[in-house]
Amino acid sequence: MTDYACQRTPASRALVPPLPVAVFFVLAAALASLLWGAGPVGAVEALQVMTGQGSEEARFVVMELRLPRLATAMATGLALAIAGALLQALTRNPLAEPGLLGVSGGSAFAVTLAILLGASSATMTTLVAQAGALAGCALVMLATRSRGLAADPVRLVLAGATVTGLLLSLTSVMMLADQRAADEVRFWITGSIAGTSLADLVAVLPSMAVAGVLVVIVASPLAALSLGERAAMGLGHRPGRIRALVVVAVALLVGGATALAGPLVFAGLVVPFIARALAGPDIRKTLWLCLPIGPGMILVADTLARVIGAPAELPLGVITAMLGAPVLLIIVRSRRMPAL
Amino acid sequence: MTELLIQHRNIAATLALVAALSLAMAMSLALGTVSVPLDGLWDALTGQGNAMHRFVVQELRLPRVLAGALTGAAFALAGCLMQTVARNRLATPGIIGIDNAATAFAVASVVGTGISLAPSAMALGGAATATALAFGLAGANGTRGYRFIIAGLGIGAIAGAVTQVMLSRVAIDAANAAFPWTVGSLNARSATAVSVLAAGLVAGWMAALLLGRSLNTLQFSDPVAINLGTRLKRVRALSLACAVLLTGLAVAVAGPVGMVALLAPELARALCRSGRVPLTASALAGAGFMVTADLVGRLLLAPLELPVGLITAIVGAPYLIWILVKPSSRSLT
Repeated sequence: MTDYACQRTPASRALVPPLPVAVFFVLAAALASLLWGAGPVGAVEALQVMTGQGSEEARFVVMELRLPRLATAMATGLALAIAGALLQALTRNPLAEPGLLGVSGGSAFAVTLAILLGASSATMTTLVAQAGALAGCALVMLATRSRGLAADPVRLVLAGATVTGLLLSLTSVMMLADQRAADEVRFWITGSIAGTSLADLVAVLPSMAVAGVLVVIVASPLAALSLGERAAMGLGHRPGRIRALVVVAVALLVGGATALAGPLVFAGLVVPFIARALAGPDIRKTLWLCLPIGPGMILVADTLARVIGAPAELPLGVITAMLGAPVLLIIVRSRRMPAL
Repeated sequence: MTELLIQHRNIAATLALVAALSLAMAMSLALGTVSVPLDGLWDALTGQGNAMHRFVVQELRLPRVLAGALTGAAFALAGCLMQTVARNRLATPGIIGIDNAATAFAVASVVGTGISLAPSAMALGGAATATALAFGLAGANGTRGYRFIIAGLGIGAIAGAVTQVMLSRVAIDAANAAFPWTVGSLNARSATAVSVLAAGLVAGWMAALLLGRSLNTLQFSDPVAINLGTRLKRVRALSLACAVLLTGLAVAVAGPVGMVALLAPELARALCRSGRVPLTASALAGAGFMVTADLVGRLLLAPLELPVGLITAIVGAPYLIWILVKPSSRSLT
């Protein structure tokens, strides 16, 4: 029933041209991230490895360093893009972004606090990060209830950015106070997936799978909710339950991504923005397009982070900020803020 | 009669702020790893008494306290000017990305050349660029409301990313030399930058006072201001130039210390309530706030030293959130 209604809306566009192009884009990005890196192993050598030849050293670099990193980047990008799209649909705010709204900040703060208190293990990090993200999400939902913030989408983002700044300051204080904590989170805190192992990724995967199931369950009701609370109730959905499920999914995704790559800002803003521009406002189509574009963007950003600064590496968060801030400017500058 | 009362209130507020600033400076000189008793403090300042105390007060703490007071005053005055021109009390240099851009340029000069005057000049350039961008992008939408602020947020994010890129590309020595700028700290001030700031602050303060009457009329709508004889474009350009000068020079000393420019004018406005733009009071409040924040940063986790920028951010953020959450804001939109 809802499917029918949405296919007939004039703004919805076909998925067929953009989706295959996006899939091609992510494949190309994946290949590029295997071929180029900060080290001396270049494209030719990497290609030799992939065809089963190449030196021992090149094989190690490509298979043991770049391949796990590729997987981590794809998981991170996927999680952040989906979380961004969900959060934007939920708050009806095109600027709602986990990094900007303080969800990633809460996650990073929780992890640093846990390390400061003496904890240290991969699975613990994921759980704590997700708990922090859940607290951040709850704060955001609470904020949208307050009259001042609900009235103006831009005001919500500003409040979120302030909370993020506050949390990062407190995190810095903790890092200054405890050298061990600082050493553990120093590189991670600026957003980076350098040196992540497959074990980190495996620790995150179960919760990502749960989040995936939640997204599948919630996508259609969320599309109905975008027609308005009453319309959704008329179609047999319960808005309160939908919101709760979306918040849990976002928290699982952002917490997982933050545990992997640190608090990345703007990644969840750019991808849904592009997806909506290509596919129209229907959340289900946006989510479909986020599947390839999200991983693709983080792959491109990560490859850039390795290549621009070679032989050193830039933090991934720097690149996502550079890609994302202009998109923020575009959205804010547009005469009529694209309504959700 | 009311006019007289307002005058009295202004003078009382200014005197109170001067007293608070003096107290903060005295405490900042006296307290620390080596505590100097208050009677010893005067001796140490005038060059008598205990040699140890003399060294600590004159060589270590006095330059730092002065630098703190000067940067605080400069940030606050710049914030007050910019708020008035943009008619938006969130339009302070820290929030709309001007601090970050000035930092990016200053860091570029440190990792690039290493001439001692360059950071000040480069920070000025960065502040000017970001101001032009922020106000230019505001365009027809105007500077009221929150979109202007979010655009500034984007500019700040880009500038911050550029700073990180530069810091990660250079040798570790240069990166360490540039690091204090990225968090906002009085630790690594250079004497040259401080003296340049002192000169700039005097000039900026005088200019702001000369603009004072016109700035007062800017609090009304444009037609009213024009009817009162204000040449809008010229006043705006001059005030912004002043704000850029003050921000750039202050950043060159202490880096992007946020929230001073937001909190100090608010405090001054609450104390004065005269319908005038509280320029001097803002500067005094900013100086006092900065010196106090630096003192807290030094004492809180002693012997560890927290950068002053962290303290001001932690104090200022809840206030900013409170402004945003309140259903209607007094002088915004």
